[in-house]
Amino acid sequence: MNPGADAPLTADVDARTPLQDARAAFLADRWAVTGLLTVLVCFIMALGAWLGLWATGWSELGDQRWAGPSADHWLGTNLLGQDIFQRAVASTRTAFEVGVLVAVASTVLGAVLGGLAGYSAGSWIDSIILWLKGTLDAIPFYLFVAAVAFALKGNPWAMHIAMTATFWTTTGRLVRGEVLRLKNREFVEAARALGLPHRIVLFRHILPNTVPVLLVQATITFVAAIKSEVILSFLGLGIQDGVSWGLMIAESSQEVLAGHYMNFIAASGFLFVLVMGFNLFADGLQDALDPKRAVKR
Amino acid sequence: MRSTLIRPIPGFVLALVVAALLSACGGSPPPQGKVYRHSIDGTPTSLDPAQSATIYSSVVVVNVFDTLYRYKYLARPYELTPNLALGLPEVSDDGLVYTFRIRDDARFTDDPAFAGGIGRAVTVHDLVYSLQRHFDPATRSRGAWLWQGRIVGMAEWAEAGADYDRPVEGLKPIDDDTLEVHLLEPFPQLTYTFATAFSALVPREAVEHHGREFAIRPVGSGPFRLTSFDSARATFEANPHFVRDPLDLAAEGFDPERHAGLGLESLDGGRYPFLDGLEIHFIEENAARWSSFARGNEVHNVMVPNEQVDRVLARRSPIRFTDEIEAKYHGMAGLEAGFVYGGFNMDDPRFGHHPDPDQDAANRAFRCAVRDAFDWQARNDTFYYGLAEVFPGVIPPVVPEFDPTLSEASITRDVEGARQRLAEYGWDEASLPTLTYGFVSAVQQRQMFEQLRAQLGDIGYPVDRLVPETFATFGDYYEAVKTLRVDLFYLAWTLDYPDAQNTLQLFYGPNASPGSNNFNYRNPEFDALYERSRTMQPGPERTALYREMNRMVIDDCVTISGLSRTRIHLWHKDAIMVPDREILAGYFMRFVDLVEPDQADG
Repeated sequence: MNPGADAPLTADVDARTPLQDARAAFLADRWAVTGLLTVLVCFIMALGAWLGLWATGWSELGDQRWAGPSADHWLGTNLLGQDIFQRAVASTRTAFEVGVLVAVASTVLGAVLGGLAGYSAGSWIDSIILWLKGTLDAIPFYLFVAAVAFALKGNPWAMHIAMTATFWTTTGRLVRGEVLRLKNREFVEAARALGLPHRIVLFRHILPNTVPVLLVQATITFVAAIKSEVILSFLGLGIQDGVSWGLMIAESSQEVLAGHYMNFIAASGFLFVLVMGFNLFADGLQDALDPKRAVKR
Repeated sequence: MRSTLIRPIPGFVLALVVAALLSACGGSPPPQGKVYRHSIDGTPTSLDPAQSATIYSSVVVVNVFDTLYRYKYLARPYELTPNLALGLPEVSDDGLVYTFRIRDDARFTDDPAFAGGIGRAVTVHDLVYSLQRHFDPATRSRGAWLWQGRIVGMAEWAEAGADYDRPVEGLKPIDDDTLEVHLLEPFPQLTYTFATAFSALVPREAVEHHGREFAIRPVGSGPFRLTSFDSARATFEANPHFVRDPLDLAAEGFDPERHAGLGLESLDGGRYPFLDGLEIHFIEENAARWSSFARGNEVHNVMVPNEQVDRVLARRSPIRFTDEIEAKYHGMAGLEAGFVYGGFNMDDPRFGHHPDPDQDAANRAFRCAVRDAFDWQARNDTFYYGLAEVFPGVIPPVVPEFDPTLSEASITRDVEGARQRLAEYGWDEASLPTLTYGFVSAVQQRQMFEQLRAQLGDIGYPVDRLVPETFATFGDYYEAVKTLRVDLFYLAWTLDYPDAQNTLQLFYGPNASPGSNNFNYRNPEFDALYERSRTMQPGPERTALYREMNRMVIDDCVTISGLSRTRIHLWHKDAIMVPDREILAGYFMRFVDLVEPDQADG
């Protein structure tokens, strides 16, 4: 062991902020960077579809049904002669729309309710939130979505509402635990000692410290939302208007029996790539933001 | 009324929610012995004959209940024959009094509703009660339109509070087996109406005993007794009380040439039902139903999935099955007794009827443009194997009043003409109305929607103006059509009886929603012709009126019509039968027999 060689390195690490530290750790994780790049490529695809730069002809009918891959149709066509590649790309937009909306809504709701529960642990507020969370968790997810869809009578946001109402509970539970841990720390006691109102203490001093948890949880929720959207659309409970990988897989369930696989391959392939990318990204992010990482190291 | 979606497909909500409601009959052991397993593409919403507005309900109803008449098993075109009745009715010279006589050996199945739990004899009082129920607001009948304004005293009976202990002037039981029906005006189709599932005889005791549960606990006198019912299947056992004359194949229309090789000869002179039990599986997805059939779960399949057509058919015109299919199954194909069509809700002044004549004309131009944009050939090729028959108007090829010389302009795609119509009447991208298009949430329905939307895009109709609204079940969708929640709909109509009047009544003003006129079409000239024709006996004069009404519907662009599908039936070789899905789908099941597999192979 050479103590002289260790000394400058330790000094260098200590000079970085936690954020810089996390960034460096993330960039050092090859798989996490691969995941991030995959997500970025998918995001650009979705953005382009959203802006109308490409995949604008996903709903156009063609003359050739179930055509194989060609220069005109990279992944072939479906029963209606629609271009499968364009539909798969356009579905990326659907996936991001659902993923982002549900992840943001669930994270915000989970942070607020989890924060309130944790900050007022043991009070009636905490009891009500815990009861609500427990009740929602007790309902099977797809039954809940079906019930919400039925209650909202074809509302195009039924799926988003149902997912948000379900997914916030995990975030809420994690945030409640974090707030319970943080609320007796010195900086919180200092804020209280200054006479700051509870809402300031909670929302300005405690919740910002749960951001690493929220970030990681948001990415996990994003992936869960995308997967759920595909399953719900497959079951006919998801996307009402538009195209989605779930709808494409539902179409393919009739086609594969007759040897037409491209719809299935395209939709499941795109889904796999995006979910895998996000999972790698989320894992890397979780590791990078883990405060225990430095200790482990 | 037999409305169906072209291929209505699953209802997840139905599976989750309705299953719980319909499971009240569950728990019975599966039927033993010779059991015929049948699959159908939709789930009944009610088994009460008064509610049997879909083909899925009527399949069950005609097996559990009795009707006075039915159609001959094998004769085509369809021919009426007595079922519970003894012969055809006697009709007075003025056509206003019909006398029906029924068998005295029919009995309802055993049920706790009856004294001692033993089914009692069926009488004409049950027919009177069953007809009265349709006019009792509490029943919320879907079939009252059949006899609306027809029977003397029925309207007064309903207005007076629908008291079942009060007689209806026009329904006069002479004795337990004879009934006189007095009509307000001649009604040549009356006998036909007594072959519909709506006319099935229900016992008053059972309706009162079971209350609303009667819809899932039907008690009838048909060849089978329901033993269980949920959203996935209905099971039945043979009704031991069911007695009919032995099967006379010749009288049923047996044709040795057409029915060769099906083994039907062995049934001649036998007592039906031949089965010990019956199962009807409700499998809405075509692919799933095909897969289940191929695995041997069901004996019969109709509506081969598009993806399987090349495997099933070696030639399309005339139809010939592949060697593989012929080796495994019996097969048969034929044009349906009905048609599919699109329709506008004419009650909406944005594109339907309008008090301002100029706007009314513009609205008509818009509807005609949508119709001209629709590509029936593509619809046929994409979803009906290219085997369906596209025809103009609403009188389908299967009825004698069909007009083969009618202009095909209304079924010929004309994109340029559609654009000109819109421009001529001042429709532009800003003024074109948004249309809500409803469909059952299922793959094929969605594909049909996408096809329509793209075709409308060709005439400059913005794609975002055709808004889809999906429904979990066909029942939900049909309810939305009835309550005017969708602007544009796509439905199928299976004839209740082989007479064009059955389709023309879909456009008769007084039948507007919640009646059978889903279009809410109101045209006084049409209504006058309809009222004139409805008391007429079949003949050239009546046919001319029918065709004139047909032209009115075409000219007003009320509907995008139509297409009659070719049904492809396949069934396993251990079944002796000729399946049918038309008119009163399900009647054939009483004549089905099963043989041991080794006999079938031989």
